[in-house]
Amino acid sequence: MRWPPAPWGRKGRVLPILVLAACSGPQSMLDPAGGQAARIGVMGWILLAGCAFVYAVVLLWLLWALARRHRWVEPGGVLPPQAGVERRLTNGLVAWVVGTVLILFAFVAASYAVDKSLTHLANREEVVVEVEGKQWWWTVRYPDDDPSRSITTANEIHLPVGVPVRVKLKAADVIHSLWIPNLHGKMDLIPGRDNELFLTADREGIFRGQCAEFCGLQHAHMALDVIVHSRAAFDAWKEAQLAPAPAPADEALARGQALFLTSACTMCHGIRGTPASASVAPDLTHLASRRSIAAGALPYNRGNLAGWIADPQRIKPGNHMPLVGVPPSDLQALVAYLDSLK
Amino acid sequence: MSSLSRNAVSLALLGVLLLAACEREERSYRGEPVGEVKPGAIVQGTLYAGAPSPPPPQRREYEGNAYHVSEGKRLFEWFNCSGCHAHGGGDIGPPLMDEVWIYGGELENIAATIVEGRPNGMPSFRNKIPDQQLWQIAAYVRSMQREVRKDVAPGRDDHMAVTPGEQNQPVTPPKPGGVASPSSEGRGP
Amino acid sequence: MPARAIAAPAASPPDDGNWVMAAKNYASTRYSELDEIDTNTVRDLQVSFTFSTGVVRGHEAAPLVVNGTMYVVTPYPNKLYALDLTKPGAPTKWTFEPRPAASAQGVACCDYVNRGPAFADGRIFINTLDAQTIAVDAETGRELWRTKLGDINKGETMTMAPLVVKGKVLVGNAGGEFGVRGWITALDAETGKIVWRAYNTGPDTDVLIGDDYKPFYDKEKGKDLGVSTWPPNAWEIGGGTVWGWISYDPELDLIYHGTGNPGPWNPEQRPGDNKWTGGIFARNPDTGQARWFYQAVPHDLYDYDGINELILLDMPWQGQPRKVLIRPERNGYLYVIDRSSGEVLAADPYFPANSTKGVDLKTGLIEYNEEKHPRVGKVVRDICPTAPGAKDWNPSAFSPKTGIVYIPHNNLCMDWESVEANYIAGTPYVGANVKMYAGPGGNRGTFTAWDPGQRRKVWELKEDLPLWSGALATAGDLVFYGTMDGWFKAVNAGSGELLWRFKTGSGIIGQPISYRGPDGRQYIAILSGVGGWAGAIVAGDLDPHDASAAKGFVNAVSDLPQRTTKGGMLYVFALPQRR
Repeated sequence: MRWPPAPWGRKGRVLPILVLAACSGPQSMLDPAGGQAARIGVMGWILLAGCAFVYAVVLLWLLWALARRHRWVEPGGVLPPQAGVERRLTNGLVAWVVGTVLILFAFVAASYAVDKSLTHLANREEVVVEVEGKQWWWTVRYPDDDPSRSITTANEIHLPVGVPVRVKLKAADVIHSLWIPNLHGKMDLIPGRDNELFLTADREGIFRGQCAEFCGLQHAHMALDVIVHSRAAFDAWKEAQLAPAPAPADEALARGQALFLTSACTMCHGIRGTPASASVAPDLTHLASRRSIAAGALPYNRGNLAGWIADPQRIKPGNHMPLVGVPPSDLQALVAYLDSLK
Repeated sequence: MSSLSRNAVSLALLGVLLLAACEREERSYRGEPVGEVKPGAIVQGTLYAGAPSPPPPQRREYEGNAYHVSEGKRLFEWFNCSGCHAHGGGDIGPPLMDEVWIYGGELENIAATIVEGRPNGMPSFRNKIPDQQLWQIAAYVRSMQREVRKDVAPGRDDHMAVTPGEQNQPVTPPKPGGVASPSSEGRGP
Repeated sequence: MPARAIAAPAASPPDDGNWVMAAKNYASTRYSELDEIDTNTVRDLQVSFTFSTGVVRGHEAAPLVVNGTMYVVTPYPNKLYALDLTKPGAPTKWTFEPRPAASAQGVACCDYVNRGPAFADGRIFINTLDAQTIAVDAETGRELWRTKLGDINKGETMTMAPLVVKGKVLVGNAGGEFGVRGWITALDAETGKIVWRAYNTGPDTDVLIGDDYKPFYDKEKGKDLGVSTWPPNAWEIGGGTVWGWISYDPELDLIYHGTGNPGPWNPEQRPGDNKWTGGIFARNPDTGQARWFYQAVPHDLYDYDGINELILLDMPWQGQPRKVLIRPERNGYLYVIDRSSGEVLAADPYFPANSTKGVDLKTGLIEYNEEKHPRVGKVVRDICPTAPGAKDWNPSAFSPKTGIVYIPHNNLCMDWESVEANYIAGTPYVGANVKMYAGPGGNRGTFTAWDPGQRRKVWELKEDLPLWSGALATAGDLVFYGTMDGWFKAVNAGSGELLWRFKTGSGIIGQPISYRGPDGRQYIAILSGVGGWAGAIVAGDLDPHDASAAKGFVNAVSDLPQRTTKGGMLYVFALPQRR
């Protein structure tokens, strides 16, 4: 058989490109979009290289041992003792143990250096974001020295590019973990304890974060979108989020609003600018400006929203949004109103 | 009885026990869309013309299910039941962990009270709480006086411990009718 | 210059033997100039007559006496009785039943209490639990007008005693535990029409802050602070109610009122100073325009509701005569504030508080104790004072004879865990698990005699149960107060020595008064009927197995059901008739 084997043949030359392509994307630690993720990425590569080297050496040694036995020993026979070889083997083994220790030390040193550089990066903040993990979604707040300019949204973090950000991490019920691989490593969200992350996004883009600590039934559907845009676009987004929900523009929307305010929706959700001020479920003041619903379970659009309201337990079984049983005619009005909350 | 048939009986018993355990934990997330007994349609007294109606199936389904009771406990906080009834000891509203039930202490009575409201201050949650959640809350309220199985009642609090815990409550069978509301002499407009 | 504190003269006219407002006079001294009952004769004090109100919830009201008629208002259903004092046994002259909505009971945070009626120009004014103010002809009991001021579906109730100033009835709402927006309203005493309404959160135009507003401290200055010190739209459900006391200085022509706690209790849900909650407003009574404001507890952490009484005194201060107001605050400090400017002259602890470390008199700022800062997901232990404060609504008395303020108050501490409060209109909006227990020393109540001029405690009496009754001082050198197990006590104003006591049928949480009867003799009256926040365990049959019942108060008084029972009875005392 010819080496390299078939996949590496003419057709197979695309495979490495495919493998590399899988490394980029909105949720990949191999495609860093910030200083922190880059350093963690370097650490990842160092670990990968070190481990690959060890793996190769061990495998080569194993192959050599197999070949040696194959060459010198008759089937069923015993390998005769060879003083010189034995000594070389012993020395080699000792050297390898020493090498292993050195490699581990190198890892420790590299890890220390990366950690240290991460803390150096964490020396200032210009934007503070507070992320609170809940079963199974995220509250995202932007506190402000002027509290009337603080923002509350859900399942979506907006960041200005090139600006250091402090992300405060809290949990309301059980332990969660926030992992936005393109921007930083994992950090746990623990009830009753404040953790934090510092990150700076180096380029604009949309990334995906995910809960990385098993937190119950819908752990897998607990994602969030991270949108990195220019400072100007970020400020514009913030201004837009600060505004209360607009009054319904026409009668159909007014009917939708009335339905919202008189139904079970108001028991859990709030819409600023209306009497609905509940807060145990995502704030809906600017729902239609978000990219996804149900913590990344579905992209946001009217169809998905209607489907979600009609039967949330089919889409995300066990989540805390109950089947309310909205009649079809009301559902359309309700969705139209919610869709007007840009 | 032969040892074979004894073994068969033991096996059958074990199977039943296992099945029962499944029911205790079975999670149904949507309730039955058809055939749900609306709490508003339920009688409150214990006197019947003719033979009494059988108890509604929700009693078995919700009171015997740890998932439903624990969801009820979460909703009891979320929907501010605890704002008036505290953690069962009462505040603005009457205590729920004792045996006195002004408007009846069975599951369907409690569900009806939540839906309809009561004249001396209990708000009506009609159209505000979906049916399944309603039954879950009512089942949890029943667990406060330990009128559900011990292995179904919640065992611990996620918050500051202010009560012995539903599981450790003594069983206090409800006294339907109870006493009249202490201030029921007030006549509303 | 007076050698020691006296009541503001314009606000405390000479005693005519009547008792026409809950606080006795505009200066809120609760001092009677009658001296027939004194330290020598008090031992002979005996019951003159009693009257059952027919309601068995917490009786926090002060009875009024006007020219031979006594007026008693009950807790919900807020019946108003007129008793004819000219006849033996004081028979009922008339009864007025306002019939408030029964559902209002479901949004009254701490029992269905009422703190008393007010009298002016032949009319009696009462507030009902369902947020109405009603005027009744004092002679006939005929209803003259009623004005609906609040919405129980938003959690608004009214429990305070109105105050009538210059032909206007001043009233405020309650419901700080329901996410209401607090206000004070002036009604025309003739017609019941709203003259002005000032909100205590929101934009300056709603708060009635205009050109006249000149606060002493920089921290109270700025445009629309009632909006900018809250998260967006949170001021709409931010509390700041006026369910306590109002005082009036005719000379400066200013009314003074406190503003209640911000909502919810969980402070993490409302970052910012949360103006104008937890403070004191001075306002023009004709227009409601604010003159000054002082926030005692910016960004309140512990429900230190700022609604306690404000006693108006004139006293020498560092050699200068000053017009001051005295406020024993819930946070455990006794404030002496210049009532013309809003400057804090002193804020001395009358209770061993550990939730705060003191008040900076230069900036007026209180320093919170970081160790006791409540947090979501954490139980903070041993916070003193508690949510009902070192002292709650139950008013103090001031005697110009001794220059001492007599303060009935609590000695409790608490464990607190903040939890997320979910706003649903018409249901509570609190967000805290609280558990209270006896404070340092083990006694749950303290009766403190405080000399505001010397800035020190003169004497104190330890009471086993929390003190939830008001105090009364008389010219006979006596101070009266009641305990939650039903003892009505008279002590020597100078020394605190117990001179007389009487066991009433139920616990006392009412306000004692003293009047001259049609026969010329001095009488002392008190309502007995346990309840209120402190007595809810008895009045509401609450279960002591839940330490968080009644927002944690049940844990502190779990023995109360063994010490007293429900009741609702007026007791009137006098010396034996001379033969």
